[in-house]
Amino acid sequence: MDKFANVGWSEMLLMALIGFLLVFTVLVLLIYVMRLMGWFFTRDRKPKTAAVVASEPALDHAISDQELAAAIITALKLYKSALHDQESEMLTINRITRAYSPWNSKIHGLTQVPEKK
Amino acid sequence: MTALLESGNFILDSLLRFVETSGFGAFFAEGGWKYAVMIALACFLLYLAIKKQFEPLLLLPIAFGMLLTNLPGAEMFHPTLFDEGQIDWYDLYKTGGLLDFLYLGVKLGIYPCLIFVGVGAMTDFGPLIANPKSFLLGAAAQLGIFATFLGAYALGFAPNECGSIGIIGGADGPTSIFITARLAPELLGPIAIAAYSYMALVPVIQPPIMRALTTDKERRIKMSQLRQVSKTEKILFPIIIAVVISLLLPSAAPLVGCLMLGNLMKECGVVDRLSKTVQNELMNIVVIFLGISVGATATAGSFLNFKTLGILVLGILAFSCGTAGGVLLAKLMNLFAKEGKKINPLIGSAGVSAVPMAARVSQTVGQEYDKSNFLLMHAMGPNVAGVVGSAVAAGILLAFLG
Repeated sequence: MDKFANVGWSEMLLMALIGFLLVFTVLVLLIYVMRLMGWFFTRDRKPKTAAVVASEPALDHAISDQELAAAIITALKLYKSALHDQESEMLTINRITRAYSPWNSKIHGLTQVPEKK
Repeated sequence: MTALLESGNFILDSLLRFVETSGFGAFFAEGGWKYAVMIALACFLLYLAIKKQFEPLLLLPIAFGMLLTNLPGAEMFHPTLFDEGQIDWYDLYKTGGLLDFLYLGVKLGIYPCLIFVGVGAMTDFGPLIANPKSFLLGAAAQLGIFATFLGAYALGFAPNECGSIGIIGGADGPTSIFITARLAPELLGPIAIAAYSYMALVPVIQPPIMRALTTDKERRIKMSQLRQVSKTEKILFPIIIAVVISLLLPSAAPLVGCLMLGNLMKECGVVDRLSKTVQNELMNIVVIFLGISVGATATAGSFLNFKTLGILVLGILAFSCGTAGGVLLAKLMNLFAKEGKKINPLIGSAGVSAVPMAARVSQTVGQEYDKSNFLLMHAMGPNVAGVVGSAVAAGILLAFLG
């Protein structure tokens, strides 16, 4: 306990402030480390896209991803709507045999007409 | 006749001696009421664990350890063996019982680290890797630790005790136990009970603060989908974090190192048996040992005083400040964020650790305002960042006060 004999409000405030700032500093450092890692693992995707765009000089204006997606979807829609339904043309009759029971008997299911005497 | 009377007196004396030395007799001795209060408190905690299911996996063994240590005459735990932060090894071998030996795992900081291996193996750091900005929210939620650190000093606690009480704000049971066993072991019982009780009460404590600090429009913010994280990134993450944090803060190395070891076991995919063991068998065994021995430290002498009351009050302050810190920083970040990149401030509250309860609270509160808003995965980022943040804060406090 003697170790803290000279610790007063000013030291406590400093400790709290420095401690909180240190937590922030360490975690901000980790953000950059993670970003670096993220960049390293996603960099392969970005240059390829850039290269494709660069190798298409015929396109004067840039086509956004949304426009591209809309064009593909419209083309697919038109293609599919032009197709006729094609069925298998195969018909199969499956015979189902059931064991006799008064519950599935047709004669028992009909209304019994009363006999005139 | 005289012989009969003498033998009658002898039997009466023996019976009286038996009653006096029995546990029941101790209730009527001076200060005996404290045992009764502690037993009643242990039964109340058992009720909370069994009936209300408040963190039952830990609260139940803690409450039973508390019950055992407060049975007068049984003397199942000897706090004198661990007085002034030292272990009396000679007396421990001579007189120590089961609880004394189990307590060594707490005293030497073994159980919290082993639990962290299991926690690491059960945690998916994917949302944090996909959105590293979540680290900021995890850091802001540590405001609870440092605000409570000052609050405890204002209430007259010694600086080392302030560090132990402040760490309750990390909402991380193993970290609280790890720090308290080193800085203020005499407060272990009240601090562990406060930490676990408030963690169970996160769904009650956090929502009013989250609602008070956010507007209706902010609560409805929808966040963009997180990017896919590759397996290699997930494998490299624990290795990088363990190395970077251990080099920056060697005092945080035991906790962060164990957390990342468990996570590496899970992510690498080549040690499935080890991963399952640390998630289940090892974790369960350590939780039993930790719970009983922490509960055993809550003796009448160390628990029934004004310090405990102060710790309970400061504990709720710690959780509230942590929640507020995360939410406010998310709002601040939104001031500089572009439209479409804004953060829903409700996920800021998840920075207080308490995995995954705090993230679930963000999701539940968010869905109260917009059923189609799914915040859970976004909240998991700050949530696991909070685990790393509280371990870092613990390392800093140990470096300052240890």
